[in-house]
Amino acid sequence: MLQQLLVGLIVIAAAGFAVWKLMPARRRLQLLMGLDAWSAHRPALAGWRQRSLKPRIARAAGSGCDGCAARDPRPPHLR
Amino acid sequence: MDAPVASKPLRVALVGVPNCGKTALFNRLTGSRQKVANYPGVTVERREGERATADGRGLRVLDLPGTYGLTPTTLDEAITRDVLLGRLADTPVPDVVVCVVDAVHLPIGLRLALEVKRLGLPMILALNRMDMARRRGVSIDMERLAAELGTPVVPTVAVKRGGADQLVALLERAGPAPNRTVSAPAWHETTAEDAEQMQSDLRGLLAVAGYGPPRENPWFGRLDAVLLHPVSGLLLLALVLFVIFQAVFSWAAAPMDWIDASMASAGEWVLTHMPEGPLSSLLAHGVIAGAGAVLVFLPQIIILFFFILVLEDSGYLPRAAYLLDRLMGWVGLSGRAFIPLLSSHACAIPGIMATRTIPNWRDRLRVIMIAPLMTCSARLPVYSLLIAALIPRQDVGPFNLQGLVMFGLYAAGIVSALLVAYVMKHIAGSRQYSPLMLELPDFQWPHAGNLLLGLWERVKIFLSRVGGIILALMIVLWFLASYPEPPPEFTGPAIQYSYAGRLGALLQHVFAPLGFNWQISIALVPGLAAREVAVGALGTVYALSAASDDDVASKLEPLIAAEWSLATGCALLAWYVFAPQCLSTLAVVKRETNSWKYPLIMAGYLFALAYIAAFITFRVVNTWS
Repeated sequence: MLQQLLVGLIVIAAAGFAVWKLMPARRRLQLLMGLDAWSAHRPALAGWRQRSLKPRIARAAGSGCDGCAARDPRPPHLR
Repeated sequence: MDAPVASKPLRVALVGVPNCGKTALFNRLTGSRQKVANYPGVTVERREGERATADGRGLRVLDLPGTYGLTPTTLDEAITRDVLLGRLADTPVPDVVVCVVDAVHLPIGLRLALEVKRLGLPMILALNRMDMARRRGVSIDMERLAAELGTPVVPTVAVKRGGADQLVALLERAGPAPNRTVSAPAWHETTAEDAEQMQSDLRGLLAVAGYGPPRENPWFGRLDAVLLHPVSGLLLLALVLFVIFQAVFSWAAAPMDWIDASMASAGEWVLTHMPEGPLSSLLAHGVIAGAGAVLVFLPQIIILFFFILVLEDSGYLPRAAYLLDRLMGWVGLSGRAFIPLLSSHACAIPGIMATRTIPNWRDRLRVIMIAPLMTCSARLPVYSLLIAALIPRQDVGPFNLQGLVMFGLYAAGIVSALLVAYVMKHIAGSRQYSPLMLELPDFQWPHAGNLLLGLWERVKIFLSRVGGIILALMIVLWFLASYPEPPPEFTGPAIQYSYAGRLGALLQHVFAPLGFNWQISIALVPGLAAREVAVGALGTVYALSAASDDDVASKLEPLIAAEWSLATGCALLAWYVFAPQCLSTLAVVKRETNSWKYPLIMAGYLFALAYIAAFITFRVVNTWS
């Protein structure tokens, strides 16, 4: 039973990770921005937000491909 | 200057002509490991990095695409101009511009420096490759040049440790970033009068600096006479590529066997030492048989990229571009297409992004559409597995037969791309040819540090893929191939009762005309996420299909050799020459073209080509064998 529970958790985590990595960059960025806005009102999460979430947002504009030299290909926006 | 603000980093922008060493200098300043190569057009977007300074203020360094002037002809050049003019919403005007100039070829870089200086932004002139300039008899009076130009001038050798110390010291002395919003500099397109004036200023500066043309190495001239000759050059290019693929197969055999044996031992150990249950099955059949099957190809990836990096660093690749320019023009491709197509051999994504250097939209679109036909490194594990399983390890004269087949597959990708471009040229009715204007870099010995760093980056990328998305997909596939468990009365292999087995049975109707069995049909689905996942998927599917646990330890390669016909294997190879793109590539095409139309057309035509090629291959080989 414990084995099955453990395997179930591993499979769910792997599926979540795969969906996250293959998600369109814009959707991933939207989710991270939403999480950022939500955590901004929770002082307990301030450290995690600065340490982990902010750098992740900066990196999240990639294309879902870790296997190339262009992991942060944000097209510039004209002012 | 306004009051200092200690926390505000100084924004430094690196500008310069292509291939003057901006990215090498960026890496030296920031400790980054961005790709550098001895040819122009490597950087097609801005990159940011930071460096701490003694006063805690820090530098924020921006590496910009190379440009010959501020009147852009391509998208990447427009990025450089827009950053300097403050036209990008999220990038303020830089506090200091470091104009990087190749000291060996001072006039080309200095012309851009004059244009940048007209913007009125604080500027430092970095004379890069000063060691090479001295070796080739170039002397530059930096003090007089600085006085005449009205900006500080410092020597740099970006590829050497400490080679940017003077520049760093100057930037640190530059004082804090101004506590104000820097207004966008005034700029207008260069007129004929401006160009004449700049040319006159340039001549004056060169005279003041005492610059004379560099001493030419007579060997370089002789080497170029052979390498750029339309006959001997093409023969040598074919030979170089040929040797690379021979080496990929011959040299990698021993380390691959060792990794393979280690994976088999790990699988056996898990099955014998862990209690029977889903966890041991997940580890042995999903993680080790799946992700481990992909890991085996690490030595081949290292050898392939070793050669590519050597060619990049030596300055040979732009010469290859020059050689192929005529052929590219004949099929309707711009000469500028060579670098994007070459980059696509590592991964189609940077290749597609590198098309930003192509000024004409139609030309650019054509290159985007054919870039995925170049054999990316993700196909290497698939090719290697099938070749090792189906092609005997024997020599044909002095050549390794497996290496010959691999060479043929890479050539098939290139030839297909050229044919598709030729067809597109006739469909679009475009007969205009944009000639290649390329500055041939000097030959140089590959830099050992660059090589090691480049290889390390490739190894990290491959391992992070194996340990990331590939591992995750293998775990999901293991679940789909293991559940639901079959009822006791079910007599076949349990996997056939699972979700994956049922999906495979459905897909087999589509792929049966190509000779693909249900195991292959299953493996093609996760292969859409990343091509090499298909190898891992085959590992997992065959491990779960095994009649006994002893079979799990055996290698995937002999299993395929025993169960597949030659026609099936060849059809799968043909499929992967054209195979529909991974999702990431399609997403990048959508972004670069700003439309769903083109990625859909791309996926559709590649799927059709893959299906037709695999069908014909299966029928032909089946008839002959």
